[in-house]
Amino acid sequence: MASEVEETLKRIEGQRGVVGTVVCNADGIPIRSSLDGVATAQYARLLRKLTVMAKSAVRDIDPQNDLTFLRLRSQKCEIMVGLENEFLVIVIQNLHQ
Amino acid sequence: MTTPGAKLKKRTLMVTHSSRALNGSISGLHQVNHSSRHTGSNVSRKGLSMAGDSRSTIQTPRQTVRVLNENGTDVTPQPISHPEPGAKHNRVYLDEFSGPSDILSMLYQPTTAASLTVPFSRSVFCSSKISRSSLSTIESVNEERVDTFYKQDNYPASYVQVEREEVKEQVTEDMLNEVVNIYLTETETITHLDMPGISVSVDADDAEAIKERNNRYAELCKNRMGNDKYMDRSMQAFIGASKSKQVQCDSIVMVDTACEATTWDMYDSFYGAEQDKTELTAEPEKSGYSESIVNSSRGPEKTTSLLSTTSIATSASSSQREIETGMCSDDAADPRLILQSEKFQKVLLVMERCILANIFQPKLAAYRQLPIVEDCDSVVTPETMEHREEDVERSLSPTLESLWVFSCELTKGRTISCMAWNKKNPDLLAVGYGEFDFRDQTPGLVCCWSLKNPTWPERVYHCNTGVTSLDFSAKHPYRLAVGMTDGTIAIYYVYSQDKTCAVSSSKCSKKHYSSTWQVKWAEQDMGLSGDDKEEALMSISADGRISKWFLHDDLDCVELMRLKRMQEEKDEMETEVKDKKKKGEILRSLNAGFCFDFHPVDSSIYLAGSIDGTIYKCSSSNSQQFLETYSQHFGPVTRIKWCPFNPNVFLSCSLDWTIKLWIQDQLTPLLCLTSTQKQVHDIMWSPKWATVFGAINEGQMKIWNLDYSTLDPVIVHMAAPGVKMTSLLFALQTDCVLVGDNSGQVTVYQIKNFTVGEGNQVDTLESIISSAVARL
Repeated sequence: MASEVEETLKRIEGQRGVVGTVVCNADGIPIRSSLDGVATAQYARLLRKLTVMAKSAVRDIDPQNDLTFLRLRSQKCEIMVGLENEFLVIVIQNLHQ
Repeated sequence: MTTPGAKLKKRTLMVTHSSRALNGSISGLHQVNHSSRHTGSNVSRKGLSMAGDSRSTIQTPRQTVRVLNENGTDVTPQPISHPEPGAKHNRVYLDEFSGPSDILSMLYQPTTAASLTVPFSRSVFCSSKISRSSLSTIESVNEERVDTFYKQDNYPASYVQVEREEVKEQVTEDMLNEVVNIYLTETETITHLDMPGISVSVDADDAEAIKERNNRYAELCKNRMGNDKYMDRSMQAFIGASKSKQVQCDSIVMVDTACEATTWDMYDSFYGAEQDKTELTAEPEKSGYSESIVNSSRGPEKTTSLLSTTSIATSASSSQREIETGMCSDDAADPRLILQSEKFQKVLLVMERCILANIFQPKLAAYRQLPIVEDCDSVVTPETMEHREEDVERSLSPTLESLWVFSCELTKGRTISCMAWNKKNPDLLAVGYGEFDFRDQTPGLVCCWSLKNPTWPERVYHCNTGVTSLDFSAKHPYRLAVGMTDGTIAIYYVYSQDKTCAVSSSKCSKKHYSSTWQVKWAEQDMGLSGDDKEEALMSISADGRISKWFLHDDLDCVELMRLKRMQEEKDEMETEVKDKKKKGEILRSLNAGFCFDFHPVDSSIYLAGSIDGTIYKCSSSNSQQFLETYSQHFGPVTRIKWCPFNPNVFLSCSLDWTIKLWIQDQLTPLLCLTSTQKQVHDIMWSPKWATVFGAINEGQMKIWNLDYSTLDPVIVHMAAPGVKMTSLLFALQTDCVLVGDNSGQVTVYQIKNFTVGEGNQVDTLESIISSAVARL
C-alpha cells in the first residue's frame, strides 16, 4: 500500500508541468514536500487559510456537503488542492511550456 | 423567692442588683436582652433565683413566661426535656447559643449555683434526647433548657473541671459504642420580617371599606388646604452626622469576545454526536488515530470551532488563531498514517487525473467531440502561429489524427493481442499483452486503462502466460474474462484493487489443453422460453473445442462443439461403404479454432473460424453437426465479425491477405477485398456506419467504406517504421479508433474529414449487397 502511494506521488511529481507537491496534515504543517522549505511553508500556510474559508462556505450552504477538491487557475499556473479531514494535498502545475 | 412571673419581670432589675460593677455596660446588656427578646417567638428562659440557693431551686419548672397569640390561646413553647428531680448535674444544651449575646445574658442571670461551662464543646453533647441538632446561629431559642453554672467562688474550679470531665467521659464510653440516631426535623417557620402588602384585591371582602377609607383620605387631602381643622407644624428629625467614605475596588478587566455560529457549526453540534456513533460502529477496524480525529472534530464542545469561526469572520486573524481553525486540531496525528490511509490514495488518484486532464485536455476534448477552447493565457509566439496556419492548410482528405497513446513502462516491448471496452463504463479499456508466437512464453499482462489517465493503468494483472483474448461481461460489468496461451481461462473482478484473479480454469479437468484463442461472454437461452437468458462464457481454442463455461464457485465447462475436419469426414463417407467401418473409429484430429462470433440477434447461432480456413456456422443447441460450412479461405481465419446493422452479413479476414464479405446462406463470399499482400490480423465493423469497417495488416491500418469503393480503402495509415500493428478497436460513441501494436502502445486515432452519407447507411449496405448478389 505504501509503495503504491509512493509510486503514485512520484508519478504525479513527474508529470509534465508539475512544479511541486506538498502534503500537509490537518493543521497545515507540511508532512512531505518536493519544494524547498520556504516555498513549502508559504504554500501550506496560504492554502490552508483558503481551504478553510472555502470549506466553511460550502458547508454553510449545505451542512451535509463537504469540500473535496479546490482548483485555482491563474495566468501562469494551476494550484490544485485535494482535501480530506485529516490532510491536504497541494499540487502546483505550470500550464504552458 | 419571688414568683416566677415576677422574676422574669424583674429580670433586668435583678441583673442590676447583682452586677453593680458592670453598670456601665448594663444598658448595653439591656439592649442585648431586649434584642434577644424581640424575636418572633419567646424564650423560655428559666428565671434563676439570685440567692445562693441550692440547686433544687433550679430544678423547679420555670414556666415564668406565657405567650399568648392574637386569639388568646396559649402558645407558650414547651421545653424539650424535663430533668429528673434530684439530678445532680445540669447539662447545658448548647445547640442554640447564638454567640456572645446569649452567653452574656446568661452570665448575668441571677442564679445561685450557676457556673457556665465552656459552651464550645458542642459536639460533645449529642445525646439522643436532643432533637434539635441544628447548630445554626439563629438568635431565637425556641426551647432550651439552660442550666447554667455560674462561676462563683463557692465552686472551686476543680469541681467544674471534674464535672466536665465526667460528662465527657460519659460520652466517650457510652456514646461511641451505641448507635446514635439523629432525627432531623424542620423548625417552625421563623419570620424575621413580615411586610404585608398594602394593596388589596378588588375582590377581597373588605375592599369596600378600604375604598371608602381611601376616598375619605383623598377628600381630606383636598380639603386640607385652608381648612381650619388642620394646621401645619414643623418637626425636627434627628439627622445623623454623615461621613464620607471612599472605597476602591480592583480594576475591572474587560475582555472582548465574539462568537459566530455558522450553519455547519450548528449542524455539527446537533448531529455530530449521532454521526460519531454511527461512524464508530460502521468502521470498527479503522485505526484509533482516525477515530480520535472523528471524535475531536465532532465533539459537542466546540470551543475551538467557536474560536475558529471568529477568526474566519474577522479578517484580522493572527497566525496563532489560524492553527485552531476549522478541521480537527489533533496534533498527535501520525504523518505516516496519513500517507498510508485509503483517503490519501483516493485524493492522489483524483489529483493525478486532474493534472492529466490539464495536460491532455485538448486531446480528450477532441475525443469526446467537444469544441477545443483555446487557452487565452498561453503565450502566442510566432512559431505557434505558423503551426496553426499550417494546420488549417492541411489537406482535407480523410486522415487519422493521433490523439494520445496508452503506454507505460510496464508495457514497453510487449505485443498487444486484444483490446476490449467495458460494457458499462465506456471510458474503461482492457488491453491484453501477449505474444502471438507460441514459442515465446513470456508472461502476459492485462491492463485496465482509463481514458482519464493515459500514463498509468488503473489495474494491472500479471498472468503466467501470454494473453490472447479479453472480454468484459455485459451482465456483470466488473467481470473480465481472459484467455491465455496455455489454455487457461481466468476471470478477474476489476472493481477491487486485488491483484489476483477471482477464478481460474486451471483446475478444471475439461479445460483447454492448447491456446485459448478467443473468449466471449454471450447470452444463452437456458430455459424453454426465450426470456430466460443467462450469460455464459464461451471459448474457442486451438485444441478444436468450443466450450461453454459456467461460473459457480469455480469454472466448469460444457463442450459445445468440436471442430471436426470436414475433409476427413468426406473421406470417411467414401470409405464407409467399404468394410473399414468394422475396423472402428479412426481417431481424427480436430481443427484448431481461431476465432468465433455470436450472432447479434439470435445468440444461439455462432460462426467459428479455424486454422485451415474453414468457417463453421453452428448452433449451440446442436453439438454434433454444423449448420453450414464456408470454406473459401486458404489460410487461417483470424477474425470473423457479424455486421451489427445487418444480421445476415458477416466479414471474415485471414492470413491469406483477404477480407471476405459473406451472406449467411451463401457459401461463396459476396465480396473479396484485398489491398496489399499482407496478412490481415484484425477487422472490425464500425459501430456507427454500416458500410465502414477497419482492418489491420501488419504495417498498416485501413479503413474501408464499401459505399466509396470496394477496391481500395478510404484511409490507409502507415505504422511507424519497425512497428507492427496487431489489434484494432473502434470507439463506441465517437469516431475514434484504437490501434495496438507490438511495441506495447495503444494509439488513439481520430478519424478526420471522413464523410459518409446520412444515417447509419444500412440501406446503402443493402443495396450494395443486393447488387453484389445480382452479379453472382
